[in-house]
Amino acid sequence: MLIQEQTRQTEKIGNDQLPRDKGRLTYATAKAFCLTSALWMTVATFYGLLGATELIAPDITENIGGVVFGRVRPIHVNLVLFGFVTPGLLGAAFYFIPRLLVTNLYSERMGLFTALLWNLALVALVVTLSMGLTQGREYAELVWPIDVAIVAAFGLVFFNFIMTVKQRQEPILYVSVWYVLAAAILTACTYALGNVVWRPNSGALVGIPDAILLWFYGHNIFGLLLTPLSAGVAYYVIPRVTRNPLYSHTLSLLGFWALIVVYTHIGTHHLLQVPVPTWLKVVAIVDSIAMVIPVMAFLINIWYTAKGKLGEIHADIGGKFVFTGTIMYFFVSIQGSLMALPDVQRVTHFNNWVIAHSHIGVLGFAGMIALGGIYYVIPQITGRPLFSRFLADFQYWMVLIGMVGFTIVLTIAGLIQGNSWLNGETVYRVLAEIHVYYVVRAGLGLLIFTSALLGLYNIVRSMWAGSGAPS
Amino acid sequence: MKMTPLAVVIGSVLILFTVVFVVVVLPFAHTSKTQPSEIFRSRTDLEAAGRQLYIANGCVYCHTQSIRTIDWGLGAERIAQAGDYVVDQPILLGSQRTGPDLSQEGGEHPDDWHIAHFMNPRFTRPLSLMPAFGFLKEADLKPLTQYVQSLGLKDADHRMARQVHWKTEAIKAYEAGPDANVRWLSENIPQGWRDLPNPYPTSEAGLARGHKIYQDFCLGCHGPVGDGMGPAQPWIYPPPLNFTILKNREISGGILYYQIMNGITGTAMPYFKRELESEKIWDVGNYVAVYFIDQSDANAEPRGIDAAYEPKEESAK
Repeated sequence: MLIQEQTRQTEKIGNDQLPRDKGRLTYATAKAFCLTSALWMTVATFYGLLGATELIAPDITENIGGVVFGRVRPIHVNLVLFGFVTPGLLGAAFYFIPRLLVTNLYSERMGLFTALLWNLALVALVVTLSMGLTQGREYAELVWPIDVAIVAAFGLVFFNFIMTVKQRQEPILYVSVWYVLAAAILTACTYALGNVVWRPNSGALVGIPDAILLWFYGHNIFGLLLTPLSAGVAYYVIPRVTRNPLYSHTLSLLGFWALIVVYTHIGTHHLLQVPVPTWLKVVAIVDSIAMVIPVMAFLINIWYTAKGKLGEIHADIGGKFVFTGTIMYFFVSIQGSLMALPDVQRVTHFNNWVIAHSHIGVLGFAGMIALGGIYYVIPQITGRPLFSRFLADFQYWMVLIGMVGFTIVLTIAGLIQGNSWLNGETVYRVLAEIHVYYVVRAGLGLLIFTSALLGLYNIVRSMWAGSGAPS
Repeated sequence: MKMTPLAVVIGSVLILFTVVFVVVVLPFAHTSKTQPSEIFRSRTDLEAAGRQLYIANGCVYCHTQSIRTIDWGLGAERIAQAGDYVVDQPILLGSQRTGPDLSQEGGEHPDDWHIAHFMNPRFTRPLSLMPAFGFLKEADLKPLTQYVQSLGLKDADHRMARQVHWKTEAIKAYEAGPDANVRWLSENIPQGWRDLPNPYPTSEAGLARGHKIYQDFCLGCHGPVGDGMGPAQPWIYPPPLNFTILKNREISGGILYYQIMNGITGTAMPYFKRELESEKIWDVGNYVAVYFIDQSDANAEPRGIDAAYEPKEESAK
């Protein structure tokens, strides 16, 4: 039974059929989300660059309240999560979900409306946070009306996908479909829960329970949104690019269910040095280590699927981004498991080590896969090659160098901070020691911001190029 | 396993709800009954308003309020307890220490130091990379300062009372003129320190080290030429000490050391014993003595056995 199912699935993904309806709106939602991602990547990385610059020259924006560091940072983080990475992954999903189900998207109009709502929420995000309208909880800063809009947007995405599933011509659900469905519905739930939407004014609980809920939610932004969406894209793109059948259905199942069971338990590893119940810390640490199971189940499955076909991956810019993303997933996950160990955290907590870690995860893993998804999907949608394969390749190297460079300099800075603090040096004393790493980080930020501009140009030209394109 | 839409959606939602029960609801049942700790008190309206400004300006992204067992720095006298946070909505633990932890910041400095620091943090802390908050209206700076001064709650109140008491004394002494002021400052130092010369001889290397320390820690208030006219001066009262008036006023190396180490509570002069080790304090003290007071007792009698690394005797200035 399993073998049969698996064979059918992999045949399907190697050879799926075109949708029957060639209406005007075909893949309009996928296009809209790809553009959303490309556009907001420029804004998000600009805010990152701005924040990095303020850390080396704090008076460069002296007394301009709207861009004070404490407002720039949450704008950067929220735009990266909800403006660049999530829409990019959804853009790919709005393409491959109908393809895998051999039908059309349930409603392109609803999809376009969702994209519009999404963009309005992002504009509102920038405006409110710039004005200092914030609920002050990391990843849950946004004020209530925007929270509601985002929950509604995830609800619409889920509804659109589940209705597409309902009208499918293909009886078997491929693993990418599981991940996308789960990401949409689970994030709608955890977002509402984590933002305490039943308390519109504060958006928070009180005291220690607030910290526990916040980090349960905060970690699930990676665990139940970025990771499953990225896995969904990887499970689609890698078999397509390599023309290989998926390595193992059993590993797909193991990876999927283990991810949802294990990842949801680990948020409290952000609170190991805080007075929360010890048993909860134990749960968080044990499950953080257990994350190796879903991570390796996914990676072994993807890497064995790609076995012997690295040339094909290298030849496809989308595949190249996605495959690189899976390598970064390996590093960020193993590192994350180790960082949950109390002895490691004595050095790494509260400093730039964690910032390096988050950049491997969100830019190196999910961001790379989002870009890969976009670059894979665009030629399929337009029926033309990319406007410029060279620019896309150039962007790949800029992002890769920027992100790896970030990891190196911020990890060094973090080790300096963590060990100095353990030795009794004050935070102020260490500032001078890490200054040079902040300078290099801002330089790498410029690289990443520039790559976002190139990417936007390339993606826009790819979508609207007239007939023909330069090689 | 057959992955039907129902299995995927209902299955994952059921798992999520189960996990929420275990890692959110169960701990809530326990932690929501936390009793206030012994330092807890509720905040005044002004402090609560200041807390909103702290949130609005994203202070939480660089300042933790979460003292751990392994911490040494500001506030490490008290490890955080769950009962310290019982009214915090949201809780502001923070996730990064770009600046110091503020759990116990209240009463570490007097109010005027904070105003100067908010105007531009480099006015009081030359190496700081905190943004300037001069864009806040005065009506906002007051509650924000009050909130920061309340951090540590009852412990902060205790420190604030000490600041207020000594500020009155310091202002009285300052307004009585330089002679009375310098006398008052010296009188409050234990005799043993007052009699102690700087035990290390003046050396070029020592002065260079002192210069660096002075630039990183002192310059904002006392100014580049030691006349007390640093950029923080307009906001601080009593104003920063003008070192150039101290010649022939019996300022020993020990007096300089003690004042740098312990600070002068009530004035904007903080204690530096957390930030500077012994040699650095002697070096910066001698730098001030040599360049600004123009009178150093470095290596004068009484002296013990010279330290092994000390340069060969040269007549000190």
